Amino acid sequence: MRRNLVTLMALLGAFLLFAILVHSETGDFGFVSGPNLELILRQTAIVGTAALGMTLIIAAGGIDLSAGAVIALSTVVLAAALSAGLSPLAAAILGVLAGAAAGALNGILVTVLGVVPFIVTLGTMLALRGVAKGLAHEQKIDAPMTWVNSALAALKPEDRWMLFPPGVWLTVVLAVLVGVTLNYTRFGRHLLAVGSNEAAARLAGVQVGRVKRRVYLLGGALVGVAGVFQFARLSVGDPTVATGLELDIIAAVVIGGASLAGGEGWVLGSLLGALIMTVIRAGGSQLGWSNWVQEIVTGAIIVTAVAIDRIRHRRHG
Amino acid sequence: MPKPLSILSLALAAALAACGGGARKDAGKLRIAVIPKGTTHEFWRAVHAGAIKAGEELGVTIEWKGPLQENDREEQIKVIENFVTRGVSGIALAPLDHAALVQPVANATRANIPVVIFDSDLKSDDYVSFVATDNFKGGALAGEALAQALGGKGNLILLRYAVGSASTTNREEGFLAAVAKYPGLKVVSSNQYAGVTTETGFQASENLLAAHKTATGLSVDGIFCANESSTFGMLRALVDGGYAGKVHFIGFDASPKFVAAIKAGQMDGMVLQNPVNMGYLAVKTLVQHLRGQPVDKRIDTGATLVTKANLGDPAVAGLVSPALAP
Repeated sequence: MRRNLVTLMALLGAFLLFAILVHSETGDFGFVSGPNLELILRQTAIVGTAALGMTLIIAAGGIDLSAGAVIALSTVVLAAALSAGLSPLAAAILGVLAGAAAGALNGILVTVLGVVPFIVTLGTMLALRGVAKGLAHEQKIDAPMTWVNSALAALKPEDRWMLFPPGVWLTVVLAVLVGVTLNYTRFGRHLLAVGSNEAAARLAGVQVGRVKRRVYLLGGALVGVAGVFQFARLSVGDPTVATGLELDIIAAVVIGGASLAGGEGWVLGSLLGALIMTVIRAGGSQLGWSNWVQEIVTGAIIVTAVAIDRIRHRRHG
Repeated sequence: MPKPLSILSLALAAALAACGGGARKDAGKLRIAVIPKGTTHEFWRAVHAGAIKAGEELGVTIEWKGPLQENDREEQIKVIENFVTRGVSGIALAPLDHAALVQPVANATRANIPVVIFDSDLKSDDYVSFVATDNFKGGALAGEALAQALGGKGNLILLRYAVGSASTTNREEGFLAAVAKYPGLKVVSSNQYAGVTTETGFQASENLLAAHKTATGLSVDGIFCANESSTFGMLRALVDGGYAGKVHFIGFDASPKFVAAIKAGQMDGMVLQNPVNMGYLAVKTLVQHLRGQPVDKRIDTGATLVTKANLGDPAVAGLVSPALAP
């Protein structure tokens, strides 16, 4: 909990700073207005949801570099299903299942081949991006507009009672479920045991292979949900979308306090980490910063966050 | 725990100082956001120059921001969203996808921020005006010129740009419609795509030329490409393969390399839009609308075929090397 507090303070600090900077630029407090908060949450939902899955994977001592490619694959599957005449719900479920299938593949390759996850998912990152491009015939797939597209759209005046778009609420619900799974279930304890010391977990009777496969399956399904969100925003299936997004997702988890060595992961922290990055981008963009300035600042913050974490770890032994 | 906070603030403040932010904007002036498809092609710098010119003439502030790559739909959506939330007076947008940008434009309109679409069409009518080259006419211009050069007989290749880009698709259709009028002309390939970068355009061109290679040269007499990056990729492939000058080739959009190629006889011509005029008219139309004047729903910014013969004309010279924004 102490770790989440640090991330929360960092988020509030970044938010406050941009609120002041935008105020000095425009003379109003637009950055703390309702519409801007909604915007930041909407822009965070994709990385945030995928970061929930990545938190589980990293806590179990793994990594998933294929997340960006899987998001693209999910948008393509969803768009293809919609344009083939499937109902929006069925198409969205197929999009999530595409992510789950990719996760299952990662899990099987990691456990059966015994190759380190970094290499396995580096391979599936390329291969699944290829699958997405092949399915889409190297183009984007147009799909009819349905209610799926309103998942992360700005709320219409008559929908104001929802406060935030349904996609944001879904992210919150998923975060609670993942948090409970990680911290209060047997599967969660096994997952953390595998992540902190695989050999010890095996000696203690944990079925390491099965735990890992489940972790990647679950992580993949959550990335699939992120893919559905991405489709909702684009309204087309785009096989080139989310290139490099896996690094944003991993950065969110790391800023949130997880250790890449495994055995530790903070669900709330990962969401806050994703929010910090959105605040920097939206704030920078609204201040009229060039893209390259935003990238330098984001990079600096990732390194700073992890450096602080290391100091904290040393101090607490 | 003030430590992470102070480090964060320091990093941000340093970056802010580096880019000279913090200056107060002129109050009361209209602020127009101009969003290109991408920021790397020279075409957009000419659009930017036109937008700046209109901004100075009309006394409005121009804010120029776009994605780096012309296929980054998510980034362009974010740019619009941030402008809408921050509250600009109006937005001029060159949508890089005719479907994906529909929703963000509708949101802007709902937030009472009028949108002028320029360069490429949008599958919606939620905008004030569409300011662009009549691309179908521009493509037809190229088709007509190739037909003349070939005497109405020969094999043609059309290297397409990318699906979902309405402007280039219209050029391609205009080209095909024009050459269809000549029974002696045969389009032997029109289903290959150059993709969004010069590199992918180069590779696609090499593959396409390899497929039409004969013992003595090429089995193709005329080639058309519908934008700058595909034209440049094809030009490089023709020069590398030693085919340049042996096949009639017309491209689209301006670049100093194309001018040199036309002078050297490697290209027959290029169809030029008027990007400076496009940026200028996009901003002007938007400002007219904001000031309560009626505007046309469709505004043509013109297209011209440039060949070795008219390269010297002063009017053409202004199109060939338009003023670029710094």
